[in-house]
Amino acid sequence: MKKTVTRMLVVLLCMFLVSGCWDRREVNDMAIVIALAMDKEPEGRYRISIQVPLVSSLGAQSGGGGGTSGDKSYYVDSAVGRTIREANDLIQARMSREIYYSHHRMIVIGEELAKDGMSDVLDIVARFPENRLTAYIVMTKGKGIELLTAQPQFERFSGEAMRELVKMGGITVSLKDLAQMLSTPGVNAIIPVLAAVDSHPKGKSKEIEATGVGLFRNDKLVTIAKAKDLTGLRLFQRNFTPFSVVLPLNKKERLTVNFSKGRANIKPEIRKGHIHYKIDLYTSAVVLENMSNLDLEKEKNIKMLQTKLVEQINRGVNDTIKTIKQYRSDIIGLGIVLSRHYPHEWQERYRSRWNEELPKITYEIHSKVNMANFGQTTKNITQSEDNHE
Amino acid sequence: MVGDEMKFKKKDKMKELIETMNSCSLIELEGIPISPQLDDNVDLLKKMFSDCSDFVIREFRQKNSVRAIAVFVDGLIDTKEVNSALKSLMVLEDGDEDIKVIEEALLPVSQMGRVDDYKKLLQAVLSGDTGILVEGNTEALTLGIRGAEKRSVNEPEGEAVVRGPREGFIENIRTNTSMLRRKLRTPRLKMKSLVVGRETNTNLVVAFLDGIADPEIVQEVTGRISKINMDAVLESGYIEEMIQDNTYSPFPQLMYSERPDTVAAALLEGRVAIFVDGTPMVLIAPVTFWMMMQASEDYYERFQMATLVRLLRYIFLIISLITPALYVAITTYHQQMLPTTLLLSIAAARESIPFPAIVEAFIMEISFEALREAGIRLPKTVGQAVSILGALVVGQAAVQAGIVSAPMVIVVSLTGIASFTIPHFNASISLRMLRFPIMIAASILGIYGMLVALLLILGHMANLRSFGVPYLSPLAPMSIGDLKDVLLRAPWSMMEKRPSFLGVQNARRMNDGYANSIQERGGQSGVTGNRHQSEEGQS
Repeated sequence: MKKTVTRMLVVLLCMFLVSGCWDRREVNDMAIVIALAMDKEPEGRYRISIQVPLVSSLGAQSGGGGGTSGDKSYYVDSAVGRTIREANDLIQARMSREIYYSHHRMIVIGEELAKDGMSDVLDIVARFPENRLTAYIVMTKGKGIELLTAQPQFERFSGEAMRELVKMGGITVSLKDLAQMLSTPGVNAIIPVLAAVDSHPKGKSKEIEATGVGLFRNDKLVTIAKAKDLTGLRLFQRNFTPFSVVLPLNKKERLTVNFSKGRANIKPEIRKGHIHYKIDLYTSAVVLENMSNLDLEKEKNIKMLQTKLVEQINRGVNDTIKTIKQYRSDIIGLGIVLSRHYPHEWQERYRSRWNEELPKITYEIHSKVNMANFGQTTKNITQSEDNHE
Repeated sequence: MVGDEMKFKKKDKMKELIETMNSCSLIELEGIPISPQLDDNVDLLKKMFSDCSDFVIREFRQKNSVRAIAVFVDGLIDTKEVNSALKSLMVLEDGDEDIKVIEEALLPVSQMGRVDDYKKLLQAVLSGDTGILVEGNTEALTLGIRGAEKRSVNEPEGEAVVRGPREGFIENIRTNTSMLRRKLRTPRLKMKSLVVGRETNTNLVVAFLDGIADPEIVQEVTGRISKINMDAVLESGYIEEMIQDNTYSPFPQLMYSERPDTVAAALLEGRVAIFVDGTPMVLIAPVTFWMMMQASEDYYERFQMATLVRLLRYIFLIISLITPALYVAITTYHQQMLPTTLLLSIAAARESIPFPAIVEAFIMEISFEALREAGIRLPKTVGQAVSILGALVVGQAAVQAGIVSAPMVIVVSLTGIASFTIPHFNASISLRMLRFPIMIAASILGIYGMLVALLLILGHMANLRSFGVPYLSPLAPMSIGDLKDVLLRAPWSMMEKRPSFLGVQNARRMNDGYANSIQERGGQSGVTGNRHQSEEGQS
């Protein structure tokens, strides 16, 4: 018995020596950061802003009642420092609760910072163990803090709204994705751009809207492209998310078509030191809306639609690649494809100056659209038979 | 001459004994012979049982004037039957004074014994027999005509079932053994009788199936029981604590049951049952941890349901053991593990709570244990008041007053419900106890501490033995064939063998291929097959 007690004591004492993790903290002593924004300030200083929910106003207590009293359920604080961590310490100095970063799921990068290069500030994000690599990263025109102070109507915090929006949109970039894009030669980073806009009709809430995509060369922002200029980009994403386009037949008649499946196949060729890409695109389309008198039961009409769609897709991809060439930002990873097919040439010639090489490339596009489904009723049921044709 | 001297000395010794006799334990009477002089016996008994108002010495004469006495304890005998036995003794004629003749030819009593010393005589009399002493005999008769008051056989309240027999053991050991015998009508069912307790002289019966149970285990059980030297055994718990392997372990190393079918099933698996007079709880040894998680109904319900219910119990076993600890660990150390929204709701609920999570958990757990304890002891009518008060005070009022948070109430009530799913009460108490050290470990070191505590417990369980059988067998040490009755309950047709880790001698439950032959004959094909056969027979 005595022996067992001694053994137990030894084990227990070892436990204290080994662990050293006396970091107990109660949930009501923490400030849980939901979203954080980073901005560039003059004189090379950084501003960090955090969005913290005020848990006491979150309900859970009985009664509640005054939901419309206008009290915000969150609190945004920001500070300027020479480093991100210094700014953080400044906020902490006036915050009664310990700032807790493990739950922040949104990082907003301000425009200035993005233009200036953001790898410096991202170091802390990757180094600090409380940060999650699964947090989504977005940027905004102007100051990042503006997104944090917006109060959307549906969600309790704009951070939550941003997260849902980013997840829904076709282009989602997590911290891990960004780190990969930044560190891999042959691909450049993209980050979705969000903006805080007034709700329509105008209310007191500020809604978050996805307005475009930021294109980067290395870690610097080169341009912000409108989402509609980059329809082609969505076909090149690793995880295709369905999206819709409007297909005009003539001035009056148009259709809305949804691409339910999409796949891009890129094959590079090097001919006499010249890089040429063969791009094959396969998509499945579904007619969502038919605002024309087109009889979709007829095969020739379907064929016609398919040709029109092919044209439209080609135009979209053309625009995307033009943008890529113009801004020398390889957002779809043409360089990676090249390196896989021609590893030697890539290593020797292109790797180090891929962005300069980009404007010189040529390409051809072959698209194939499969009209999978054109709706249950082929004609507009509200229009009478004789009116038609 | 020498013989006379011896006789004289013996006589002297008897006189001396009568003079010095005081009330004493039965063990001290070992080897004191019954005197041929009836008066000596009467004197000795009267002295021994002075001030015992319920002890009756009835003197009477046979027809030939040979004196005799009947001794019995009032209330333990069946008066009517004893009267008729005395009646037939009183009409005895010459030459019928030899006790052997009386026993063999003259007394119409089915249960009778002959004893020659006081210890045996008084043991029988104090258990309810009637002792007959006849002048000139050095032996006495014990008539087994017992008639003490006893409770009728009822449904066992501690182990209720939906499907299965509804009889439970009672306090009378004979009734209990008869109930077991009704289940196992085989000469293999052996019942060794033992007496334990200097003052209580409690009857014990060690029951086992000869040829199935491991003789070494039977030997070990009877050996340990006979080493007990206590003054009293009032319940089987006394025996349990005296013969268990590890006194300091929180885990029960013997199981008890008040269901004859459970005991019979245990014997059929090669275990040993210990009946103790005066309690309906029959001990079963050796046991494994998994037995504590099994209910008799598992074997009566269809196997799919039984298996699912068993899995449910294991899940809730884990819940009852670690939920409060896990809650404390996660909310104080590992907040990143929670979904954000859940963390925010917990934070909101805890906003106004003045205590750290561990203190809160302790307050709630202890008050829950108190409620449960209060509910057991109180009469049923008052018990209801306790539950209302408890639900109001500990539940709602405490949350509204901001003393404990609502999530903590949920955790504690979930734990409480989970601990009720464990079928055997003694196992569930040990888990209730272990919850607290795990909680403390979790509050100091988080999930790491919780796991260390769990590992210590697991290591202890793996180390523990019940009568030489490892406590976690058949899982550790692994014996794959026996696993079909641990986490699952295989259909009976597949459980052809008894558990091997108990060292059973006769391992087969069924004949070879029995299940297969049933399956071949069963179902639709079997029916048509039979019809075909009978048609053939007719033609």
